[in-house]
Amino acid sequence: MSRGLRSIFTLATFGLALNSVSLMAQQDDLSPISEQDWNYESAAHLLERAGFGGTPDQISELAAMSAEAAVHSLVYFDPTNNSHLLPFEHSGVHEPGLEPFPPSRPATTELAKQTGEALGVKVKPEGNRRLQPVVNKFFYWLRASVLETNRVSYWWADRMVASRNPLQEKMALFWHGHYAVNESKVRDYRKLLNELELFHEMGTGSFRDLMVAVAQDPAMLSFLDAGVNVRGAPNENFAREIMELFTMGVGNYSEMDIREAARAFTGWNYVDLEFVINEQQHDDGEKNFLGRSGNFDGVEIIDIIMEQPVTAEYIASKIYRFFVRDEISPAMAKELGSVLREADYDVAVLLETIFLSQDFYSPASIGSQIKSPVQLAVSTYRKLGLQDAPGVPDFNRATGALSQSLFRPPTVAGWAGGRSWMTPGLLLERGNFARDVLFPDINFVPPDRVNGSSEIRSVADRIREGMDITSATQPSSLGAGGIMAESNMLADRDEEFNTRYGSFRGWQMAIERVKPISRHTARINLSEMLVEQGVENTAEAIDYLLARFMRVQPDNSTRSMLIEFLSDDLGTTSIVAAQTYMEDSLRLVLHLIMSQPEYQLS
Amino acid sequence: MKNNIKDKPLARRQLLAGMAGLSALSMVPPAFAQAAQAAAAQAAANGKVLVILELSGGNDGLNTVVPYGDDAYYRQRPNIGIPKSDLRIIDDHFGFNPGMAGFERLYKDGKMAIVHGCGYENPSYSHFTSMAYWHTAAPNSGNEYGWVGKLADAIAPHAPANFLVNIAASQSLAVRSEKHVPVVFDDPNRFMREAFAAEKEALDIVAEIGAVENPSRRFLLDIARSANDASALVRDAWSKYNSPVDYGVNDLDLQKVVALLDADMPTGLYYVSYRNNAFDTHVFQNDLHRRLLTYTSDAVSAFIQDLERIGRADDVALMIFSEFGRRVPENVSLGTDHGAANAMFVVGNQIKGGHYGELPSLTELAQGENLAYTTDFRKVYQTMTQGWLEYGNSANLFGDDFGRFDMFS
Repeated sequence: MSRGLRSIFTLATFGLALNSVSLMAQQDDLSPISEQDWNYESAAHLLERAGFGGTPDQISELAAMSAEAAVHSLVYFDPTNNSHLLPFEHSGVHEPGLEPFPPSRPATTELAKQTGEALGVKVKPEGNRRLQPVVNKFFYWLRASVLETNRVSYWWADRMVASRNPLQEKMALFWHGHYAVNESKVRDYRKLLNELELFHEMGTGSFRDLMVAVAQDPAMLSFLDAGVNVRGAPNENFAREIMELFTMGVGNYSEMDIREAARAFTGWNYVDLEFVINEQQHDDGEKNFLGRSGNFDGVEIIDIIMEQPVTAEYIASKIYRFFVRDEISPAMAKELGSVLREADYDVAVLLETIFLSQDFYSPASIGSQIKSPVQLAVSTYRKLGLQDAPGVPDFNRATGALSQSLFRPPTVAGWAGGRSWMTPGLLLERGNFARDVLFPDINFVPPDRVNGSSEIRSVADRIREGMDITSATQPSSLGAGGIMAESNMLADRDEEFNTRYGSFRGWQMAIERVKPISRHTARINLSEMLVEQGVENTAEAIDYLLARFMRVQPDNSTRSMLIEFLSDDLGTTSIVAAQTYMEDSLRLVLHLIMSQPEYQLS
Repeated sequence: MKNNIKDKPLARRQLLAGMAGLSALSMVPPAFAQAAQAAAAQAAANGKVLVILELSGGNDGLNTVVPYGDDAYYRQRPNIGIPKSDLRIIDDHFGFNPGMAGFERLYKDGKMAIVHGCGYENPSYSHFTSMAYWHTAAPNSGNEYGWVGKLADAIAPHAPANFLVNIAASQSLAVRSEKHVPVVFDDPNRFMREAFAAEKEALDIVAEIGAVENPSRRFLLDIARSANDASALVRDAWSKYNSPVDYGVNDLDLQKVVALLDADMPTGLYYVSYRNNAFDTHVFQNDLHRRLLTYTSDAVSAFIQDLERIGRADDVALMIFSEFGRRVPENVSLGTDHGAANAMFVVGNQIKGGHYGELPSLTELAQGENLAYTTDFRKVYQTMTQGWLEYGNSANLFGDDFGRFDMFS
């Protein structure tokens, strides 16, 4: 038996072992855990939280180190570990003429009318629908950016599954929720990708430097409408979010501080993918901010924010809640705040303190976190031993159905997290996700090839049937409305452009350019997994699967039910006898395990 | 005549005991006693039920309740303005869109309040952003909980099961709650695990909470039980629902609300929507918009009739909103672009019907050729929470006291 297997069997045999492992570790105590508290179980807990969990071998590898060395390897990771991960492969959908992309279709056509050109496309000199190519191009980019963003999500999901530096990805996920920007507003996958790269590169470095970088990042500048913040007419949105959501939290500054900070950020803007300061629009006058006065610019404003003790407490508490527990005591918030401030906002120092602390390994912390949908999917793949995120089920669809779509946080405040991840319907849906991984749907339709809108599909059909554009684009499928009567159809209408046609044509142009997502299913071999471990009977099989996949063990009646289910389905309690035909039964029972409430806990 | 609600839990216990089947393994959920209590406690403290209908995409209020008495309307909309002769005239200034026979009847029966000019300061023209403002009742700000979720926390602080229902493909931000577990489902027939036949019985088992100490695990076991309970209740209620009332083409999930009310679900707050940004009528809008309004009007008037059929019409009020109205002038594509202030509607037997608030000027437009709002939308929210549900601490919900209309008899 491997060390890992022995440990997990020990756990299964003494059902309460999990709760007793860390009895020595005290809640709310930041001092490091003792040597005797460091074992397979604590290593597993560390990997769950600092990463996305792992296989028994990966856990054993960590457990074999000292606690300090294990935490150090995760926090101060070596980027060269990930030489097997490839950079994002662009499809090549962007063209220079698309930038700056107008905020809306009407703005685009207005621009084309005034200047004779928009998005790099000229208006036709005469004839019907002179603006149609411009409108097509507008929709092309809308679709292409959405589809390419989905590829960026997939690329990121693959990294989360395959990275040897899982904390780098986990921290990027934290910052993505903290600095929430949404594709539907930014409308440019390149900006979103660049921001993600920022989180990858700076996520465990200085929070001050990261804050400055994000404040000057085109994705954020675009998301918070920085372009409308100009001298003489400052827009408070950007300054407000920086203080309210990113650094201090409400109640620690006045409305006047917001107005003054907004002045300091005037003129901050971007051109394509570059940050620029438009000096003509920048207000260089004196500002009074948080009790200080001076001709502050935006960076100086951020530095003053960083001097406030509440800033360190706010961000340290948020990181704590993400990695440890939903609730943080006021004393702990203060203590972690000082750790961060004394380390000059070095996030790695804070993380190291947290991951070594008794509090982190105390019973209140172990198995108390509800996995986010992304965490659920990634940890499922990791625990299965997969090398990437399968293409079926679709990662973005699956996590979206569970209420977390990467690059589409619900509001500027990010995901609420914690218990809000769960609804009765969503718990059932989580079980359905597990089923879709273990038994992939052979009728799967790839959403990056086939447009889900019945409207676009029906336009496509009617255009192919040879209808004119006006007839083909009559609305036809609201509810059960069906196709409009022939007599209601107008003859081909004289118009500047047809939006529905543009919407259809834009999709068609986008899928021509955007590379497809690989639609392989998960290669799973549970039979081999059990045989390799020398598992002999169904009780051992269930204990192995429970220990491998669950951080919180279900009660004995559930365990008995699972053993009985597996024995019944195999027609024997002997794994040896059932070896050649047991895969389907093992997958069924693993689906049952993954449908348990306890599987949702990390 | 309503069923005697005390009979219900027993019937359900028998039903479930029969369903569970796995004698040795089945654990009859002890939550039935609680469920019975919750059912008896019912709805809000005053027994009233609030249903919210969201019209997603930005409904064009000016072509819904048309101010035909104002020439400016026809000047702004020379092509898509609806001629007086086509309208369903309700008084000397306004007429409903010709597709809205149901609304016309409700209004003339005194069961509909129209609140004009609803909006907020510094309006956002993004669907996403503006909808989030309406969902959280926090314009130009952020809040992790929705206002309906906060309302549930306020009026039912002990968070009884099944108090908050959201019929949707995914949970609306509006119902996100600190204490409640909103029952979120879409198709009642699919509010269930997708499982292979062999697994079904095993999946219906929820372990006892018993001495479990881990609070997150207790919470999940509660959710699991609620999922099992609610999914069975919802599917059961839906299978028993059989109404002669015609909801038209799209029932906007209001039939499901009636089914649950009829099954005495202890729900105080329901949230449904006309989905998928349907009202985003940028182009060639009149036929399309009329059709959307017909479906809405059919469904809403059928809902009220259906409530009367089951004897619950006096207990329920329906509030209808959209994330914004549309631009006053028509655009070149015979449609309208994203706008600002808009009409809201409140419907029910207990409503004092009529006009509330003021129609904004059609000549003195706000930034971007928009209607300047005359009523903060949170005043309408507060009318529902304070006037209808009689919950007094509005500052707790909305951060301020926005006042309310005297709308209920």
